[in-house]
Amino acid sequence: MIKMVRPLEFLLLLSVFIIATCGLIYELVAGTLASYLLGDSITQFSTIIGAYLFSMGIGAYLSRFFRRELLSWFIQLEILVGLIGGISSAVLFLVFEHAASFRLVLYLLVGLTGILVGLELPLLMNILKNRYAFRDLVSRVFTFDYIGALLASIVFPLLLVPYFGLIRTSCFFGILNVVVAIVVCVKFREEVKWARYLQFKAVGVIVLLTGIFWWADKIMTFSESEAFRDPVIFSHSSPYQRIVITRSKLDLRLYLNGNLQFSSVDEYRYHEALVHPAMMYSPEHTRVLILGGGDGMAAREILKYPDVEIITLVDLDPSMTRLFRQSSMLAELNHHSLQSPKLQVINADAFQWLKTNKTLYDVAFVDFPDPGNYAVGKLYTTAFYRQLRHSLTDSSVIVVQSTSPFVAPKAFWCVDATLHDCGYHTQAYHTYVPSFGEWGYVMASPTGLVGHHHSLPAGLRYFAADVFPQMCQFTADMAKRPVLANHLNNQVLVQYFEDEWGKYQE
Amino acid sequence: MNGENTRNKPLTRKDFLRYMALIAGAGVTLPQFVACEAKKDQYGHIQGRIYGASAAVGHKIREGGFAAPMHTETVDAVIIGSGVAGLSAARMLHHNGCHNYKILELEQHAGGNAGFGRNAFSAYPLGAHYLPLPNLENQPLLDLLQEAGILTGYTADCLPMYNETDLCYDPQERLFIHNRWQEGLVPQFGVGEAALAEFKRFFADMEKLRWQRGSDGLYAFDIPMARSSRDAAYLQLDNLCMKDYLQQQGYRSEELYWYLDYCCRDDFGAGIPVVSAWAGLHYFASRKGKSANADSAAVLTWPQGNGRLVQHLQQFSNNNLQTNGLAYKVTPQGREVQVDYFEVATGTTKRIVAKACIMATPQFVTQRLLPAGQYDHQFVYSPWLVANLTLDKLPESRGYPLCWDNVMYNSRSLGYVNAQQQSITQEAPEKQVLTYYLPLDHLSPADSRRYALGLSHAHWVKLITDDLETVHPGIHAQLRTIDVWVWGHGMIRPHTGFITSDAIAAARRSGYPNVFFAHSDLSGISIFEEAFYQGNNAALALLDYIRT
Repeated sequence: MIKMVRPLEFLLLLSVFIIATCGLIYELVAGTLASYLLGDSITQFSTIIGAYLFSMGIGAYLSRFFRRELLSWFIQLEILVGLIGGISSAVLFLVFEHAASFRLVLYLLVGLTGILVGLELPLLMNILKNRYAFRDLVSRVFTFDYIGALLASIVFPLLLVPYFGLIRTSCFFGILNVVVAIVVCVKFREEVKWARYLQFKAVGVIVLLTGIFWWADKIMTFSESEAFRDPVIFSHSSPYQRIVITRSKLDLRLYLNGNLQFSSVDEYRYHEALVHPAMMYSPEHTRVLILGGGDGMAAREILKYPDVEIITLVDLDPSMTRLFRQSSMLAELNHHSLQSPKLQVINADAFQWLKTNKTLYDVAFVDFPDPGNYAVGKLYTTAFYRQLRHSLTDSSVIVVQSTSPFVAPKAFWCVDATLHDCGYHTQAYHTYVPSFGEWGYVMASPTGLVGHHHSLPAGLRYFAADVFPQMCQFTADMAKRPVLANHLNNQVLVQYFEDEWGKYQE
Repeated sequence: MNGENTRNKPLTRKDFLRYMALIAGAGVTLPQFVACEAKKDQYGHIQGRIYGASAAVGHKIREGGFAAPMHTETVDAVIIGSGVAGLSAARMLHHNGCHNYKILELEQHAGGNAGFGRNAFSAYPLGAHYLPLPNLENQPLLDLLQEAGILTGYTADCLPMYNETDLCYDPQERLFIHNRWQEGLVPQFGVGEAALAEFKRFFADMEKLRWQRGSDGLYAFDIPMARSSRDAAYLQLDNLCMKDYLQQQGYRSEELYWYLDYCCRDDFGAGIPVVSAWAGLHYFASRKGKSANADSAAVLTWPQGNGRLVQHLQQFSNNNLQTNGLAYKVTPQGREVQVDYFEVATGTTKRIVAKACIMATPQFVTQRLLPAGQYDHQFVYSPWLVANLTLDKLPESRGYPLCWDNVMYNSRSLGYVNAQQQSITQEAPEKQVLTYYLPLDHLSPADSRRYALGLSHAHWVKLITDDLETVHPGIHAQLRTIDVWVWGHGMIRPHTGFITSDAIAAARRSGYPNVFFAHSDLSGISIFEEAFYQGNNAALALLDYIRT
């Protein structure tokens, strides 16, 4: 029979329960976050759990060095676990964009939390050892520990992740940890040394965590997750657009203002088709211009040509180019193209920049978002292509991404007609990108597109010289149709685009 | 100032309430108190001031009592007024080798109704803000546009091509009707079949009228209006108001009447019960512009409005312009004209002796300057309010997105123009700048003028913000400044019978061989094309005179 539990001892056992819940939650948060951010959930979970348990072992070992003032140390540790566990997911989200070695930070945090949690139970058992028989002690502590673990493992996927999101979950349990510390501190005030100092510290940590809890939306908008198919691992609102990256097991996707920009699974199709035809047709490609394309994928393809000397990438949004340069995971996707010494990033408005540019480019890639509103529509007008002409030589080749010729044939052929209206010779082509569907481009040159001047680099996965004639074939459902050219004063392209995509999405 | 009073009182009470709330420990209810108090003075944060014509200085002409001029200057020609007519005349003198002339302008800047301003975020118009594509026969105007680089050339079939960045960008016009924005200004959304059919009939009629010619072979309606047919069949339309004309034609629908009233108020500062049918129809049937790269209804516009054209015109006379110079007496004497003026900056009077003079001034000024001049009260001027609003972000309502011209159905105002429409950047502007137009035609012109000049800035803010709140709820919180321009004599009003009146015919005739008149008043319609035409004609007549 178990003796009646006295209130104070019950409190300590309750804290075992809470500590166990919190400990497991931190582990789950770390595992989930790692598989969100790095993909491959099996590897992530198994290494995180392994590292965590191992760290707990270290903690347990270290517990032998705590001999005096156990209760105070216990409270001290509680506060520290609350702090580190509580801020862990917020820190991980924040450093994801900036830290080159995200994994290091991840395992450091996991290790630290593990050690602290590992210290807790042995300390507690040492505190309680004089109050219970050893048999009772072991039974009680482990009962509460395992019940706590069960609770955590059930509420985490069912309640916490969907309703709280990761940042708030870890904050919430951090606060819970600290509350335990405060309650223990108050109830055992006669036995606790430095009670005042500890309470002060605990309140400080609670304020910090409450702050993070409150501002979690600023750090990461979880409500957004519902709008996307896969978990959102990064989101950021720049003055120009909302950048969202989602991650599933195999796939990493970039969305700008909710529109898919690429899926890591098939973006090579899109970018090879964007870059290589123009590189093949241009007599020279010493100087290359990219307008838009802040993800660095087009630059990656261009850098496959050793004779390219200068790439100028003009993208409006510094947060895009920074993200794709600094995040190791994203830079892996673009083969660190944005760090290339050949490449110069200019964060400017393309239209304005073209007005001041004096350099002539051999090849230019115009990779803007689809013309879904009147502001972006201006970048598809005769005025824009005429302005672009001043940055080209007579034999330069340009390519314009031109939305889907299947979904929006009028919009697609409108880009062709607009370039034509400005005196360019054009060649429309298209390709199939599974995540986008049928996608179209218009290649153009001021004096005509003649012959292949260059061989293709080795290692392309999709594009080849003999594939190109097929890409220039348009079936009847995508065939050229009579459309107006897009001017600043009519913006017909936006209307075509809205009509056609609107119908398609109904 | 009034605004301070209203702010001071609630402030103390708010503090008191806050104090009470704290004592009671009712921290939860505090935000409600604050919100409630803030609402009472919800426009108090909106800055800005009143601008407008220098009425006080101008009225000195009426009072007289100027000292005899001490200083005399001799030139070939003098132009009084540097609005579009005056600047056009100066350009014409310049192009014909006459450089020894002087322009007198009462205000600090040239431009008149086509003046413009600028703040940290955008240039903006102070009045006229666009130019419709000129008629192909209006060669002098086409030449002006070509000279300014706005017209880039002609196609093989003689159609002008315009600089794409000077044409109004899409989306151009929207109308707030039945609680949403629709595309275009002609009411469509939620409008009945009968009304739609009447619009169709009206526009078909106008298209017919556009190409009709009178018995003299001239177009029924043309620009410049002096080139319109003198055929009585058309001129008699001046004897009835636009509203009566519509009734005669059997139009019934409320929406059509609103639309035409809006158009008349937009062009003439007065509605269809006042404006003559001839003028009202001229608005629709006189414009026959064409272009190779824009449709006929296209307009040319710039952030600074027609200030763009003023800037071009002004470059020919920069060294000849005397601003802050109030001409108060014009005395023709044989082969000379003496023009006496008051230099506002120094407070001294000066005299210019010229061979000839162009008076590019409105009638109510012209007649006071000339000896024994009589101001004919047939010349009626519509008072106007133009306000430039700076706001953080326009809170949008349902429907079509922000356009260049944004009009509200059944509002007293004409809505607002987006000064930043002609921008090619992707970035949303740091602050938005809108130009709000309100013809003050609810009272007689004289009463409206008195009313408008008596209003405080806070009153204007309330009037404008309340109007915009109906279509953009919450706009007050976004507004930072409202600068207000009150134009007491905004533009000549072509009221019933005026265009064909003896008064206008008499005003065109100068009793002196070396005094020439140039103002859109003399056309009866205040538009850029008329002022330009009047200025050119006066300059050519003056050149004729001094060279013989």
